[in-house]
Amino acid sequence: MKPSSLIICRCEEVTIEQLEQAYQTGSCTSRQLKMKTRASMGACQGRVCRQLVDAWVHDKDPDSPHDAELLSYRPPIRPITFGQLAKGEL
Amino acid sequence: MKPKLQQTDLIIVGAGPAGLSAATAAADNGLSVTVIDEFPEPGGRMLGQFHEEQGHWWVGKRIADELIEKNRAQGVSIRCGVSVYGMLKVDQLWEVSTSHGTWTAPRVLLATGAAEIPMPTCGWTLPGVMSIGAAQVMTNVHYVKPGKRGLIIGVNVLAMAIARELSVSGVMLAGIVLPPGGPLAGKAALPRNNLQVLMGLSHLAPSPILRFGGKIAYALGMAGIVSSLFPRRGIKLWDIPLKLRTAAVSINGTDRVESVTLADVNAKGEIIAGSEREEAVDFVALAGGLYPLAELASVAGCPFIYTPELGGHLPLHSERMQTPVEGLYVAGNITGVESALVAMAQGQLAAASICSDAGVLGEDGDRKVVEAIGEVQRVRASALIQFHPGIPEARRKIYRMWQQTYEAGV
Repeated sequence: MKPSSLIICRCEEVTIEQLEQAYQTGSCTSRQLKMKTRASMGACQGRVCRQLVDAWVHDKDPDSPHDAELLSYRPPIRPITFGQLAKGEL
Repeated sequence: MKPKLQQTDLIIVGAGPAGLSAATAAADNGLSVTVIDEFPEPGGRMLGQFHEEQGHWWVGKRIADELIEKNRAQGVSIRCGVSVYGMLKVDQLWEVSTSHGTWTAPRVLLATGAAEIPMPTCGWTLPGVMSIGAAQVMTNVHYVKPGKRGLIIGVNVLAMAIARELSVSGVMLAGIVLPPGGPLAGKAALPRNNLQVLMGLSHLAPSPILRFGGKIAYALGMAGIVSSLFPRRGIKLWDIPLKLRTAAVSINGTDRVESVTLADVNAKGEIIAGSEREEAVDFVALAGGLYPLAELASVAGCPFIYTPELGGHLPLHSERMQTPVEGLYVAGNITGVESALVAMAQGQLAAASICSDAGVLGEDGDRKVVEAIGEVQRVRASALIQFHPGIPEARRKIYRMWQQTYEAGV
């Protein structure tokens, strides 16, 4: 197995290779990489991989800022059914 | 139809050491408290923790049981198996949305703890690979062995503490090895860095060699030299081989873990060609460390600060556990990764702060908060498990930042 085929985001099955390709085509922050590759947009909402995506970006560019805004959180932060959501909103 | 809102004085998210300690202290002062946790039973990570301390065993489950009993006696409502998916302030009240309906309260305490950072290695998505915390929960909470023989990848405080627990529980470990080098592991793949981690642990070390070595190396600042002298075969930590010059190259198997390919590394963490060999194991525990789990603080609009000594991004908060968002408080590992004892003291401090702000402590409010702050400092100074040597200084920096930003001119 090549290291480049290492999966970084399990939910969306995004590999290091895909991050690399996205980076080469101009997605340089963790937020841009997320938008481009869907890394950290899966069922766990980045709870498993957001630290990895951040670490990967900082390895690429040690001067990039540690900005929490780059990978923000939005509700719902846990997977819920439409039924659960509707009960809270009706 | 408007859903029935369940109203209370204080909602606490997280039934771990911080949340349960805060709940009992707040209920003691007359507040109605609801604690919500997504795990099926209360206690948080204390349920699986135990370690030897000055000749006796500290058993987290017992402490958790005592706290739960206290809470029940005081009428605190503990709701488990309930996931909070969002929170919003409407007319001075927090509306906390969960998988089981909405709760409202003027004050919310986030005691959500920390989450694990994985240590990706080729093959880490195979069944049989888990985080070190999952191995702990399986073994010590559910009493299910994670496998017959396992390997831990990653050297840090959490890995060492849980390795000891697994070993005491009769789970066989082939060893603790370094992660493969690369952008995701960073310094964790360097033997030198790991020796520094161990120096911070040397007071805990059962092996006189390690204890002695740690102190000497620390005093002389010789991490580089010592790491090249560290025996290739590793040393035994309790009965677990700790191999600081061996790295995991890949996890192998068809349908599940069958083996791990190991290799020797030099002081820079680079693989020495030709040293690869296979170690037969049926489970692998990945130990990449912990980070504060602060999703809800972000959703609630709390600003964050980056503090590597405390685990990374964390919600800005005062020494009184207040956040800049009115009615939002934090306690425990969400404010930085430390031990359960510190989390419990922080929970009591948060409760003092909340009760003082709610006006139920009368003129005693300030005095009780100051006393609780002193107790947190005392517990932190005497904590056996220090996750990072720079914690007290990092804390002082955060509180200074808070004073400059929010208390200027007061």
